[in-house]
Amino acid sequence: MNQTIGQSKPTSILYLDGVSVSFDGFKALNGLSFVIEPGELRAIIGPNGAGKTTMMDIITGKTRPDEGQVFFKGEIDLTKKDEAEIASLGIGRKFQKPTVFESHTVWDNLELALNRNRGVFPTLFYRLTAEDMIRIEEILTTIRLATRRDDLAANLSHGQKQWLEIGMLLAQEPELLLVDEPVAGMTDAETAETAVLLKEIAKTRSVVVVEHDMGFIRELGVKVTCLAEGTVLAEGSIDFVSSDPKVIENYLGR
Amino acid sequence: MYRILQILFVALCLLISTHVVGSRAADDLGALVDQLGVAKLSDMDERISSLAKTGDAKVIPVLEALGEGELYQRKSDGKVFLVKVQGADLLLIDPVTGMEAGQAPKAAMQKVKVNNAVRRAVRSALGGLTLFSDDTSARLKAAQSMLQTPNADALDAIEAAIATEKDATVRKVLDEARAVTLLLSERSDEEKRQAITLLAKGNGRTGLAVLTSALANADAALKLDIEAAIARIEQTQAFWNAGQNVWYALSLGSVLLLAAIGLAITFGVMGIINMAHGEMVMLGAYTTFLVQEVIRNSYPGLFDWSLAIALPLAFLVTGTVGLAIERGVIRFLYGRPLETLLATWGISLILQQAVRSIFGPTNREVGNPSWMAGAFDLGGLTITWNRLWIIVFALTVFAALLFLLKKTPMGLRMRAVTQNRRMASSMGIRTPFVDALTFALGSGIAGMAGVALSQIDNVSPNLGQGYIIDSFMVVVFGGVGNLWGTLVGAFSLGILNKFLEPYAGAVLGKILVLVLIILFIQKKPRGLFALKGRAVEA
Amino acid sequence: MITSFLMKSLDRSILIVVAILLGLALLVPALNLLTAPNHPLHVPTYLVSLFGKYLTYALLALALDLVWGFCGILSLGHAAFFALGGYAMGMYLMRQIGARGSYGNPLLPDFMVFLNWKELPWFWYGFDMFWFAALMVVLVPGVLAFVFGWFAFRSRVNGVYLSIITQAMTYALLLAFFRNDMGFGGNNGLTDFKDILGFNIQADGTRAVLFAASALMLALCLILTAAIVRSKYGKVLVAVRDAESRTRFLGYRVEHIKLFAFTVSAMMAGIAGALYVPQVGIINPGEFEPGNSIEVVIWTAVGGRGTLVGPIVGAILVNGGKSIFTAAFPEFWLFALGGLFVLVTLFLPKGVVGTAGAYFARRRAERKARANEAPDNLAIEPMAAE
Repeated sequence: MNQTIGQSKPTSILYLDGVSVSFDGFKALNGLSFVIEPGELRAIIGPNGAGKTTMMDIITGKTRPDEGQVFFKGEIDLTKKDEAEIASLGIGRKFQKPTVFESHTVWDNLELALNRNRGVFPTLFYRLTAEDMIRIEEILTTIRLATRRDDLAANLSHGQKQWLEIGMLLAQEPELLLVDEPVAGMTDAETAETAVLLKEIAKTRSVVVVEHDMGFIRELGVKVTCLAEGTVLAEGSIDFVSSDPKVIENYLGR
Repeated sequence: MYRILQILFVALCLLISTHVVGSRAADDLGALVDQLGVAKLSDMDERISSLAKTGDAKVIPVLEALGEGELYQRKSDGKVFLVKVQGADLLLIDPVTGMEAGQAPKAAMQKVKVNNAVRRAVRSALGGLTLFSDDTSARLKAAQSMLQTPNADALDAIEAAIATEKDATVRKVLDEARAVTLLLSERSDEEKRQAITLLAKGNGRTGLAVLTSALANADAALKLDIEAAIARIEQTQAFWNAGQNVWYALSLGSVLLLAAIGLAITFGVMGIINMAHGEMVMLGAYTTFLVQEVIRNSYPGLFDWSLAIALPLAFLVTGTVGLAIERGVIRFLYGRPLETLLATWGISLILQQAVRSIFGPTNREVGNPSWMAGAFDLGGLTITWNRLWIIVFALTVFAALLFLLKKTPMGLRMRAVTQNRRMASSMGIRTPFVDALTFALGSGIAGMAGVALSQIDNVSPNLGQGYIIDSFMVVVFGGVGNLWGTLVGAFSLGILNKFLEPYAGAVLGKILVLVLIILFIQKKPRGLFALKGRAVEA
Repeated sequence: MITSFLMKSLDRSILIVVAILLGLALLVPALNLLTAPNHPLHVPTYLVSLFGKYLTYALLALALDLVWGFCGILSLGHAAFFALGGYAMGMYLMRQIGARGSYGNPLLPDFMVFLNWKELPWFWYGFDMFWFAALMVVLVPGVLAFVFGWFAFRSRVNGVYLSIITQAMTYALLLAFFRNDMGFGGNNGLTDFKDILGFNIQADGTRAVLFAASALMLALCLILTAAIVRSKYGKVLVAVRDAESRTRFLGYRVEHIKLFAFTVSAMMAGIAGALYVPQVGIINPGEFEPGNSIEVVIWTAVGGRGTLVGPIVGAILVNGGKSIFTAAFPEFWLFALGGLFVLVTLFLPKGVVGTAGAYFARRRAERKARANEAPDNLAIEPMAAE
């Protein structure tokens, strides 16, 4: 398997090979390897403690792996960089719990997320250009929050906060988007709408979605990777994976 | 042979002068004392030594009075008396009989003049006299004073004393005193060499001082011996100094441990920055003061038990105050550590001012029970009892707490809350109850620490302020949520502090320790023994 | 660019406060110098200096608010930056004494003569020049904050840990400045100043000018702070306060963001200290007391952290209260201060200005909502009120 992965390294957008990490003796990831191609939308499932969030932590530079390789766009070694650098390279991340800046307005949240120079002095003397305004307007429409632009993010509903966070990721213009449980706590209507939103986003960039909601994943209709105990258990279409006996044993239950 | 004769002779003289011819001695004594009145300052030395040579016990109060400036001469007949001031008049006491001899107006008397040279002579003469006292401790004291202020004239007396001395401790000091004194005398090189060898074995500072001064005017042959001896003493001293330093470091470490351990619990388990922690220590110290006041006034016999009584009381008092603070203020601030810091700082100001209003701003005296007072020597170390007990106490508290946390159901709950508050709560642990008890426990331990610290520190309203920063340093350095971290943190900071002190001085040493901790936190933001994992970072 | 950057900050509340400060800068000196001592509106000189002191405290609180209120960094080291600025000014004032000291040494300050020092230590060079001292007033606290912050923020020392190590830093400085060997006057500090820029420091005119300078500097720093927090950078600051790791995952270098605010804040604290020293006439290591730093926090909290006007109001309220209280019931001041800490954290977390601001914002929102619901009523309402 490593052989095929090794070959796909130069063309991939994200490349993980043999990544392991442990906390106080507990192996959160154990030789994890997988590859995401440019433009791919990938779903990742797995039981609690399978290492899904830890995997995201490693890709985004929050946690350093004990061993293994993590490459972005074939040649950028992510294990040597920190969160801010990785974000600037074009990897966006949505947390499990929606995290938006509650004491800022919806508009300001998006303005902060815009992919502009993020240094101290450029931000200090930043002036909102017409171009940026148009971009923010666009995103507001995409995430269906145009009427609430001047409201504080704290006053949004749970689902709206999830969308705002997705909107912030769009503003960041990442090439790769990591999305952790985007529909947790959403109503069915919101879930369906989120699936549409994600598919739309995946047209222009690669997306990795971690989710428990099998219905949602079926709705996405993409390649699925099932993790368990820090390693890949099965990979393929949703039907293929959900019929795998190991997956049933470990995750779906009989 | 000559030496033995000499000793015998001196001993004989002393015997004769003190016991056999008592009555004649009394007359002589009177005359000798009277001579003090007419002597010039430069002659006093001689007079004093001739008084001392009588070996009469009655000479002791006379010399003491001379040293204190309470010896007067009657102008009318030149007789010298011991006096006590009684209003405008002086009460005269006959130096020979020790009986009162009427009063005299101040104008009729003239004080016998003394200066520092005379006082020194008095001291050394008194030392020689008490060498033959019947009281062992008086002899020991005299011997030590001979050792500390050696005087070549006293050599004969010391040798005589050695001949009759039976007590081993006194004998040992006398031997050293003789060696020291001998170096100053005109004795033969051979004897001096023996003395040097003896001194080299010891580690006394006096020995070193005497040897160093002897080095200056010794002949070439002796010089080598002296130098070797000095080197040897210095080596021994360096060794014992290092040992003493370790002792001080352990002692400081135990104090830090005591002050910090309660904080480690509240900070570790509850994530609460309790700025009023130092004031809990202070309240514990004041509880001790109150207990001792009651005992002093009503049951003086119980004084040695005062700390044993104060300990549980302090625990109760500060534990209750802690419980009140937790229920009244802190429970509204969970999850907002910075606000807790401010609120508890406010509480600390209130407690300080309350104690200041009730007990006054000055230091209150807390006494050491007899078993806490004094010191003993261990090799070249001086170990004070109070420090020793505090180390024992700190380790006992630590062990008890460790037992509580690891082996009791309550401890299990506390640890569960430390590791994952939400999970513990959903497992059915009543976290508010655990919080309240934990805070009360932490405060109670601070109170007990206060009892111990009252023995070595000034008991004032500011007592707690002195410990709060150090305690935080210990907890942060050791790592939150781990008692072993606190133990290691306290002792490493203690050792670091005391070993920097000789090179950098106390204040600069402390500054260096603070800077090192600040740098250390950069490297390990969660301390030496940090909890790891995802839950902690989130 | 700079002017637009500054202009943006001038919204109504800032303008009002700046106008009040400018008015005070003119009025108080005028009432002090131009009225007779028995005139009912006369402001005695001691009050001028007292108010001047409050203004420097207000500036210190404003500086703390920039990092605590807007970025969530609870620094317990701001008294240290304040004191360092004060020492820099104190050193200038010491050098100005010249040969008029008790020992009459033209070069060495009295305490150095007393310690038998023969030469001026190297770090005292240059302090005879005002521009140099003024530079050091911002540079010394700024560099210390930069170095300290660079280490601390890079290793992500956060929350209470940061508070504790800033306190440790202050405490270390306290101990250091108590040492005679440091060359800053040890226990007694620097005092017995004679004049500043050639003017007698005790004179009414100088005091009035110092007051005016404090008011102007506060106004200037208020505008600067407002500009900072209203810029996009200021929004990032608040973002760091509310969700630090989210900000990081958006690609912001949180350590740089914090470092800039921390350094600017320390410089402002230094300026406050420099204005404080000539008005009180002494600077000693007591200013480094950890308790002082925490007191600054309570001024800011009382006024309202995260608001710009709050810390100014808070510093003046608390210190005014302190002056009155300590004169009337000295026993109870610490009770009052301690109680204030507890009550504000429990019941007034937004502070006076923050709470009032929230109240007015709610009223405005309600009015707007009512206006939206029934736009017709709006026109009728004033008539109905008649």
